[in-house]
Amino acid sequence: MARPATEELRRRNRSALLDQLHRRGPQTRAELTEALGLNRSTIGALATDLSESGHIQETTGRSTGAAGRPSTLVECVPEAETVAAVEVRADRVRLALVGLGGTLLARAEVPLEPGADGPEAAELAARLLADTPAAETVAAVPGLVDAGVVAQSTELGWVDRDFRTDLERATGRSWRVADLATAAAVGERSRGDAHRSPNLLYLHGGRGVTAGMIADGRPRRGSSIMLGHVVVNPGGQKCRCGLHGCLEAEMGTFEQSATIEATTTAAWMGDTAAREVVHRSGGLLGRALGSVVTAATPDEVLFGGWLRELYLSSAAAVRSSLAEATLPQLRARLRLRTPALGSEGPLIGAAETGFEALIGEMR
Amino acid sequence: MLLELSRISKSFGPVEVLSEVYLAVDAGEVCALVGDNGAGKSTLVKCIAGIHDINSGTIAVDGAPREIHDPRDAAALGIEVVYQDLALCDNLDVVENLFLGREKLHGVVLDDDAMEQLAAETLDSLAVRTLRDLRQNVASLSGGQRQTVAIAKAVLWNSRLVILDEPTAALGVAQTRQVLELIRRLADQGLAVLFISHNLNDVFAVADRIAALYLGRMAGVVNAADATQSQVVELITSGRSGAVGLPDPNGVQS
Ligand SMILES: Nc1ncnc2c1ncn2[C@@H]1O[C@H](COP(=O)(O)OP(=O)(O)O)[C@@H](O)[C@H]1O
Ligand SMILES: [Mg+2]
Ligand SMILES: [Zn+2]
Repeated sequence: MARPATEELRRRNRSALLDQLHRRGPQTRAELTEALGLNRSTIGALATDLSESGHIQETTGRSTGAAGRPSTLVECVPEAETVAAVEVRADRVRLALVGLGGTLLARAEVPLEPGADGPEAAELAARLLADTPAAETVAAVPGLVDAGVVAQSTELGWVDRDFRTDLERATGRSWRVADLATAAAVGERSRGDAHRSPNLLYLHGGRGVTAGMIADGRPRRGSSIMLGHVVVNPGGQKCRCGLHGCLEAEMGTFEQSATIEATTTAAWMGDTAAREVVHRSGGLLGRALGSVVTAATPDEVLFGGWLRELYLSSAAAVRSSLAEATLPQLRARLRLRTPALGSEGPLIGAAETGFEALIGEMR
Repeated sequence: MLLELSRISKSFGPVEVLSEVYLAVDAGEVCALVGDNGAGKSTLVKCIAGIHDINSGTIAVDGAPREIHDPRDAAALGIEVVYQDLALCDNLDVVENLFLGREKLHGVVLDDDAMEQLAAETLDSLAVRTLRDLRQNVASLSGGQRQTVAIAKAVLWNSRLVILDEPTAALGVAQTRQVLELIRRLADQGLAVLFISHNLNDVFAVADRIAALYLGRMAGVVNAADATQSQVVELITSGRSGAVGLPDPNGVQS
């Protein structure tokens, strides 16, 4: 009976060590010993074990500290475990093959026909993936995603689309499907700058405006926040969703996703009409955000997609209306930021979702 | 508080340009300094930087009053000023510019590869993706890229307070955005940042606190999270907004 217990402990330690290296990058054995709270000989045995299985390698790293003596670093072998991440957007499908440790091994992109349905998008994903070896395959899709089903996507025009099944049919592999904004939040928290924020809200500006949330360090999987359909002007513009006065409809999102650059540049150059549009959009965004902040109390909000350009061009309006729409206690320590990973966040986050499952299964 | 100014006054001849100005900037925060043209923003920066001597008042760093008579005094205290006309050497490349003068300061001699690696790591830590070739001469860089190099230098030199006087004034819209993100990242890495601008969008995009100078006096300091654009505009243009502001804005020039 003693043996299985030891074996289980060894597996747990293996998984913990790999997780530490995957998340934090190359480290010395001493640093690993410290970080994992295991003793030196245990780390030594695990390192030998994981070297033999091809997961890690030890290299003479660069000199650390003032002494300048090179130290031996333990690092992941990227090719040992790989995750394929696919991002589906209105006009393209992108693929990133990510190796253990977060190394980008390959990437590819193909255009998507406007109005393409689930099977068509899945077919493109299959073509990009071809026979790439990957232990996990994860797709990020903008919209409301639940258990592999895209319940609503303004960007793709899909309703109740069982995209996981589409992908499985097209590729013969099993898939995880994540909402794009939530995937981006995971990416920014694990590989971007948002590691200090256990409650993170990522706003995604694409053809629609959605938001993904990490609460207490865990992604609220599958349930993105439909920020674009928060009503900011009751009885206002008719929205595609059927309501009136939604943020998306009032901001004219569909024009903005294509013309944000032109509009903000014109505003910056002093064009009064463009300034009015940017200022008004910023104010409306702040108001909608106020409701979400009040309900979800995030520590940090990231403005992703074209909302980055809008926020940086209209921050005075965004923050003014946020100040008028939230309690002082909720806004005092709220950080408003733009994503450190830029447009790579969703793919990186989707890959991280795969690695979390992969490393978890090794336990 | 990393930097604390109290009752700073500065005159040029008979003209008092700064009158009993107070201001505090802490590590990890962006404090924006706003005010109309001629309000005294640049003069205040030059007092902190050791270019002008103050007539009265105190400048405290880490709670201890300091005498700053010379830019070297400021540098020794970890204060780095990024001016609009940046002090970069056009005939040197990015890496060389980043390390210019550093040997003298720390007495460490780094080889070329080590310098390049350290430069790359610094830019990486600031999420700078716009400088691909670190071996190109800075003469070939855009305004925004030059600004980036100047700011990265502050990080590489372990500065504690970075002061930027109108860093986005001469930049296009895309470059302005990158510099704003960089300013925010500096503070998130633990540096104190004093950011001078008269563009309120830029200010609200990055600031934690906003200090408004009005005719050489500090009209008020507000939290960016609590402020609205119109309050800040009022502070700038009239020295008062609601309960915040100078008791007698119109008596300032007495
Ligand atoms: N070296 C100087 N000699 C005389 N007057 C000066 C000098 N520098 C600035 N001033 C004056 O001080 C005032 C404040 O200028 P400045 O600090 O440049 O304002 P800001 O940066 O807020 O636009 C202005 O009236 C300006 O003319
Ligand atoms: Mg000035
Ligand atoms: Zn709607």
